[in-house]
Amino acid sequence: MRLLWAVPAVALVLFAAEPGFRLVDVTRQAGISFVHNNGAFGGKYLPETLGSGGAFLDFDQDGWQDILLVNGADWPGHKTRRTTMSLYRNNHNGTFTDVTRAAGLDIEMYGMGVAAGDFNNDGFPDLFITAVGQSRLFQNSGKGTFIDVTERSQIAGHSGLSTSAIWFDYDRDGKLDLFVSNYVKWSEAQDVFCSLDGKHKSYCTPEAYRGSSNWLFHNRGDGTFEDVTAKSGIFDSTSKSLGVAMLDYDHDGWPDLFVANDTQPNKLYRNRHDGTFQDVAVEAGVAFSEDGKARAGMGVDSADYENSGYPGIAVTNFDGEMIGLYRGSQAGNYADVALNSGVGKASRRSLGFGCFFFDANLDGLLELLVVNGHIDDTVRNIQPGVRYEQPPHLFVNIGKQGFYDAAPAVGSGFAEPKVGRGAAFGDFDNDGDLDVLVTTSHGAAHLYRNDLIAPKQSLRFRMVGTKSNRDAIGAVVRVYYGSHYASLMVKSGSSYLSQSELPVTFGLGEQTKVDRVVAEWPSGLTETLPSLSVGRYVWTEGHGAKIDKTKPN
Amino acid sequence: MGKPVTPAHQSPTSRLIAGLAITLAVVGAFCFYALHQIAGLRQLQNQIIESNRKDSLQLLRIQNNLSALGLAIRDMLNGDEPYPLYAWDAQFDRIRKDMTDALRLEAELKPAGENLDRQVYLTRTLSQFWISTDQIFTLARNSQESQARALLRNSLQAQQATLVNAVSRLLVENNETQQRTAARVGVIYDGVERQIYWLLVAALFAISGTSLMLIRANRTIFREIEQLSDQRSGLARKLITMQEELFRSISRELHDEFGQMLTAVGAMISRTRRRNCPPELTADLDEIRAAAQQALDKTRSLSQALHPAILDDGGLEEAIDWYLSVFERQTGIHVDLKKSGVGGELGDEMPIHVYRVLQEALNNLARHSKSAEAWVRVNFSHDRLLMEVEDRGVGLEFEGLEPRRRGMGMIAMRERAELLHGTIEFSRPEAGGTLVRLDVPLNAEQS
Repeated sequence: MRLLWAVPAVALVLFAAEPGFRLVDVTRQAGISFVHNNGAFGGKYLPETLGSGGAFLDFDQDGWQDILLVNGADWPGHKTRRTTMSLYRNNHNGTFTDVTRAAGLDIEMYGMGVAAGDFNNDGFPDLFITAVGQSRLFQNSGKGTFIDVTERSQIAGHSGLSTSAIWFDYDRDGKLDLFVSNYVKWSEAQDVFCSLDGKHKSYCTPEAYRGSSNWLFHNRGDGTFEDVTAKSGIFDSTSKSLGVAMLDYDHDGWPDLFVANDTQPNKLYRNRHDGTFQDVAVEAGVAFSEDGKARAGMGVDSADYENSGYPGIAVTNFDGEMIGLYRGSQAGNYADVALNSGVGKASRRSLGFGCFFFDANLDGLLELLVVNGHIDDTVRNIQPGVRYEQPPHLFVNIGKQGFYDAAPAVGSGFAEPKVGRGAAFGDFDNDGDLDVLVTTSHGAAHLYRNDLIAPKQSLRFRMVGTKSNRDAIGAVVRVYYGSHYASLMVKSGSSYLSQSELPVTFGLGEQTKVDRVVAEWPSGLTETLPSLSVGRYVWTEGHGAKIDKTKPN
Repeated sequence: MGKPVTPAHQSPTSRLIAGLAITLAVVGAFCFYALHQIAGLRQLQNQIIESNRKDSLQLLRIQNNLSALGLAIRDMLNGDEPYPLYAWDAQFDRIRKDMTDALRLEAELKPAGENLDRQVYLTRTLSQFWISTDQIFTLARNSQESQARALLRNSLQAQQATLVNAVSRLLVENNETQQRTAARVGVIYDGVERQIYWLLVAALFAISGTSLMLIRANRTIFREIEQLSDQRSGLARKLITMQEELFRSISRELHDEFGQMLTAVGAMISRTRRRNCPPELTADLDEIRAAAQQALDKTRSLSQALHPAILDDGGLEEAIDWYLSVFERQTGIHVDLKKSGVGGELGDEMPIHVYRVLQEALNNLARHSKSAEAWVRVNFSHDRLLMEVEDRGVGLEFEGLEPRRRGMGMIAMRERAELLHGTIEFSRPEAGGTLVRLDVPLNAEQS
């Protein structure tokens, strides 16, 4: 069976190795000079290996994707410089301007991840920055600035080693709730001395620390949040979570959550429609690897990559463990098809972090991008075959034959080994294809512009909720043309510590028209648009889609 | 000469078959035994070791869950989480489901009767644990946190410890069962090992017995063949000796009696002619005398052929000289004779046999070799006589060291050589043709 997959996959790699696009590193020319600071001073603190993430968001709602990059900081007692997160405003011409200070975000904190969502439904995305210690919620004033509302929103008082976060409306009341992943119970005071040679301190593995429960905050709608971790059934003190993605695994219209755990079983929280969740990961077959082992889950994304209507799940793991690629089914059961699909073998020697599904070549099939990088900068001394900097994977979807890794073919800059952590996609130049943002540990962030080899058509929707949450997070858009079908969900979170843009982009290849588009809003409303031409649209819940008048550069 | 043998009577076949049958029976019996033991081992491993291993895995799963519960209870009592006690409900529920499943599998795997008491004890204690857990979470939900915490501290923690002990004991018992089974397996292996040694001994005996029988039968057969060969040789020699004696006697008779008579007849005719023979009878008498002379010549010639008188009178060397001149005259083949050494006393038997060998070798040469020349070498040393007859003719065809076609002449030559305790060899010299080499000892006693 494995061989049956391998033969066409190899043939396609040989004869169709042209992925149809290039990812060109435009970081410098775009004016992005961000460099991550993990604060490493030799103390080998666990969080130094983890950060940090980045996001595509349109914070000023000008129709152009801006970029936010989360930063760490020097540890107390070892201060040498001041580093903060960076907010880059899109100049509509392929360049960005650092507006961090003006936006009021030049706040020093040991940041990890970011989740952008309009929790107060004012039309402007707010920011939740996870951190070591107290994570922070920044409310977007709509005037280009952010206000720290951590205290006011009652999110304060939650200290932890928080990692990925996600905005989603779990009770479908039209207000975005917040899920925060936590890794382990770590603080400087609780730091454990771990050593590989018995003399020198090295980074600990998560086994050295107790797990830490994730948090679920319910949006009361008055600017405050209620910690419903306990009563929602999310509380689990054994969790060591790094990544979180939303999906509707049981197709009931209620958002479920997949949480990637490091050395602990992954969690699949089924939404029970009553404000509580039930972990069904074991029953669904996603808790462990195929041989029953709890892997080191890092990043995660979920999407209908087979265009079957059933979302699949990708989870990045430690080197030697392979990516977990779970194929969805109508019954909500999953099977790890990584090996058969060509993703497993290629990722066997990689330590994966950020990952996401996106249609990079606009051919109607979702690619899987994975960034890699080891956690230990001295790994070479212990495992000669493993490097700290590792090249990313760009698995091009070739339909039933699975995937092949086209990273080396899409540009030397992209394939260059790096200590990858966060990854996100967004169409920053509004040219219809999806560009890529990659963050690295204690290194530069990279912005890659997607240049298609030949023009392809795409259909892009910026969904605006009215009864549903304003960002329409959780809305599912389904596109039909001929015998083709594709679906995408408007999502926050996913990947690792990062967030991709909220608009959904369908690649259509040569197709200039689709027969039908259906949107299933979180409010329960289903809206159908007949016969639509390719292009960019703003779709307001209950009012249909209008052409997005933002001019491309 | 040995006694007449009856090979059928002493045939070893039946004994050999019996030996083979015993060997096969021993091997067959052992195979059956070994297969039986392997089947037993397999059963033991499948039923006890394998199920024991799976059972231990389930127990470890339960223990792992108990340890997770222990940590959770500790966290609950620590109070460093900002959540009410009922927050742990989902966590407990997840572990409970997993433990229930593990316990179900464990019960299925455990062979009936084993650890039954402890099994019942574990199930009962666990059941009580969940009742207490439910109580605690109910109290916690009903805002009776302090009662719940007290129950947690005073009861649930102890129950968890009891359960850990119970599972540990089951694991220890499983381990002991494993060790006992391993010991049983060891005994079986020892038994099989011992049986293999016994098989080896039995097989060794059976094979040795059969081999000894085979060796004995072979020896008997060879001895019988030897006896038969000796008998045949004896007969052949006797025949040859008798033949030579007969020839000598006839030859002497012809020479002495008929020769004398014919000589007398010739003398009488001559005398009659000289004395008073009427002239008309002279011619007749001359004719009669010529006929008598011719008969005398023929008789002498036959006598020489049957047994050359020169052999008795002049010895072997002169006989050879004489015969070679006759042979050259009769066949036109030139014979080069080389003699060396001095022939001493050769006894009565040897000259005639050596002479006959030479005669037969030269006759063969004349008949088959197409050679115009021949070499005869006779060498006497103090203890041996070596005679070689060689030609450059077409030569003999050989099969190994022996000529392909062996007529009666050749057989007779060999018999004569053996009669003289010597050897005869036929070979092809490098230059081609045939070389016949007779080598006989001079001081050997003649049979």
